[in-house]
Amino acid sequence: MNNFFEVWGSFIYLYLVGGIFFFSGMYIIKKSGALNTKRKSHKFWLKTLYGGFLFFFSIHFLSIIAALYL
Amino acid sequence: MEVHHSLGSSTDWIVMVVYFIVIMGFGSYFSKYNRTTTDFFFGGRRFAWWLIAMSIVATGVGSHSFIKYSAKGFEAGFSSTMTYMNDWFFVPFFIFGWLPIIVYTKIRSIPEYFEKRFSPSTRFLATILLLLYMIGYVGIGFLTMGKAILPLLPPEFTIFGIHFEITLMGLIVVIALIVGVYITYGGQTAVIFTDLIQGFVLIFAGMLVFFLGIDYIGGFGLFWELLPTTWKLPLANFNNPPGFNFVGIFWQDGIAGSVGFLFMNMGLVMRFMATKSVDEGRKAATFNILFMLPLSAIVVGNAGWIGKAISTINPSIVPPDTNPDNIFVVVANVISHPGVFGFVMAALTAALMSTVDTLLNATAAVYINDVHRPAKKWLARKVKSIKEEDKQELFAARIATALFTIMGVLAVIPFSAFPTVYEAHGYFHSTLTPPLVVAIFLGVFWKKFTNAAVIATFVVGVALMVLGMYYPRPLIEVFAHGTAYDPAHPYTYIGALYNLFVCVFVGVITALTRKQQVSLVKKIKSNPNHKSIVSGITFLSGAFFVMIIFNVASLPILMILSILMLIFVVISANYYSKYSEETHTEGLTVWGLAKAKEMFKGSKVNETDGEVIKVNWKLVNSSEDLMCFSQNDMKKMSANPGDLVYISDARKILGGLKSVHSTFGKPHNEDGIVYITQEQIDQGQFVAGKILTAEKEM
Repeated sequence: MNNFFEVWGSFIYLYLVGGIFFFSGMYIIKKSGALNTKRKSHKFWLKTLYGGFLFFFSIHFLSIIAALYL
Repeated sequence: MEVHHSLGSSTDWIVMVVYFIVIMGFGSYFSKYNRTTTDFFFGGRRFAWWLIAMSIVATGVGSHSFIKYSAKGFEAGFSSTMTYMNDWFFVPFFIFGWLPIIVYTKIRSIPEYFEKRFSPSTRFLATILLLLYMIGYVGIGFLTMGKAILPLLPPEFTIFGIHFEITLMGLIVVIALIVGVYITYGGQTAVIFTDLIQGFVLIFAGMLVFFLGIDYIGGFGLFWELLPTTWKLPLANFNNPPGFNFVGIFWQDGIAGSVGFLFMNMGLVMRFMATKSVDEGRKAATFNILFMLPLSAIVVGNAGWIGKAISTINPSIVPPDTNPDNIFVVVANVISHPGVFGFVMAALTAALMSTVDTLLNATAAVYINDVHRPAKKWLARKVKSIKEEDKQELFAARIATALFTIMGVLAVIPFSAFPTVYEAHGYFHSTLTPPLVVAIFLGVFWKKFTNAAVIATFVVGVALMVLGMYYPRPLIEVFAHGTAYDPAHPYTYIGALYNLFVCVFVGVITALTRKQQVSLVKKIKSNPNHKSIVSGITFLSGAFFVMIIFNVASLPILMILSILMLIFVVISANYYSKYSEETHTEGLTVWGLAKAKEMFKGSKVNETDGEVIKVNWKLVNSSEDLMCFSQNDMKKMSANPGDLVYISDARKILGGLKSVHSTFGKPHNEDGIVYITQEQIDQGQFVAGKILTAEKEM
């Protein structure tokens, strides 16, 4: 279990490939005007969307640290 | 593997029966809100986000999850949570793409979107694929319910001198009868409200199992110590073992499964259609994925982790070779007192019922919208009054639900051949979702995706997927990320990546060659025998499809046939269907949402923010669907005549149950009073003397 790839490979792949989907989604909805960052309510959604990504990233990151060192 | 029977006591059975009677009675009460087919299927598009969010929990979590993820938790540890933690990647696409489109286009089913966006023939193909997907899902639900309840029953019993052997299929037939009767009677409102209760109950029951389990083991510290490091990692090993690895699960569940569940599960889509507005739908989706899914991941998987810990301390109580699909029931039985076990099992089976009843309701909706109505139109039956029509459709919907229940039971037969529900569901997901997922996704987010491209995705994509099943070694191996080849279940999960790839490839290549296709079809049309030529081409493509499905030649030949079929299908699609990039994309892709909103309203959208006001109501005699407020109240709401209004009973606890949508009429001078018609009162089920809230929609 000390193999770096075995421990972190899945995590890196998840946020690299998943990230491509997520950020291309953000790009499309902004570019198309579906998410209009000038509107107050949409600003809230913009923060929520990026916050959610960070939230799941943190959960996975901290869970791996906990599994390895706690 | 150890097989369990007769778990639980008579107290548990009493608790289970009482729970079911209460929950079914509760749901049946709401059947009185079914006035029309819209109410039956969509709950009248009126509910608050929190009600829908909890309902989604019951549907999503209930869907085979306790059995499936506990089994994987027992085999692999905390990484059983993977599937619940990777939906966020598609949330931007969903809440700002697909969700507003399904609401603003006023579609009643996904195939209907395909007709608006592409053509009637695309709708036909989408209906077939969607019905297969949903019947399969119902089958998985029944299989899971059977596997959950079977360990509670004795292997056989005798009643009035007749001997009965309890088999999985026999049990599933009985379950199907109960579920079928319930959903046929209740409709969508009953489903949403029973789901609300069950959402809370099953989260509570799952956490109860976790805490009782930890207590049984001797505290969280001991539980943590007992599990090896590999078991505590939240993600599985990258590409091994073939039976459970990260990369395969990522493509199957994280991509095909998540997009499939969010974008094409009609049960879920109908939940969002039942929300009062797009913004409420966004809140429901976000709350569910952000907060409820991580919680649900623990709720559904922990019995497996607890089971693993107990099997390490005392293998005689939970044998390590316990059938993984039984582990939830076995662990719940070990750690619970009589009665508590009954409650946990009641919550589990009721949650499973939530999923199945949601799916059956959705399948019937697809049938009515995409088979019954078009068929009637085609047969040119005499036009009836709206009320007569609705009554007839409600009856047809109930019959359809009963038929789909039977088909769901039949679908259990192939699925029961898989070693666990997880494998069965995985296989089902990776084979049935890719064509529809790709078609919806490219249709919504890419304006250049054409009718010929979507038909090619459905036909040629499916054919290439079938080839992948016959020849996994050369075809899927390229995508396997180093996952070992298992001859018994070749590339179980990573097959989803191959399937997605071939569907995207076929769709994109067809869309990008539109100009060449159009000029080729023009040339064919200039030939005096063009009808015969295209008929021959269409026939040949059908013949090639059959040859591929039945694997009648070697791989190189079948690949050549696939390429020829792609060319022929594309020519036929362009020849027979009229497709215009302007009219078929207007308001139907994410790039035209403003237009979609305008089309939904029927006039220019009023985006000014207004207040939510409280009003009393006064009955007026009118046949127009208008609501009249005072001039001052209209100012407060920033509303103009012709804008859309949502009016609801002011009691928030009802979550919009008593509410109705309408249009602002000419204002009057009585502040705090809204003039409404008898039809609107009936629709909203408003109670005399109860205050209403009103807000401008757009």
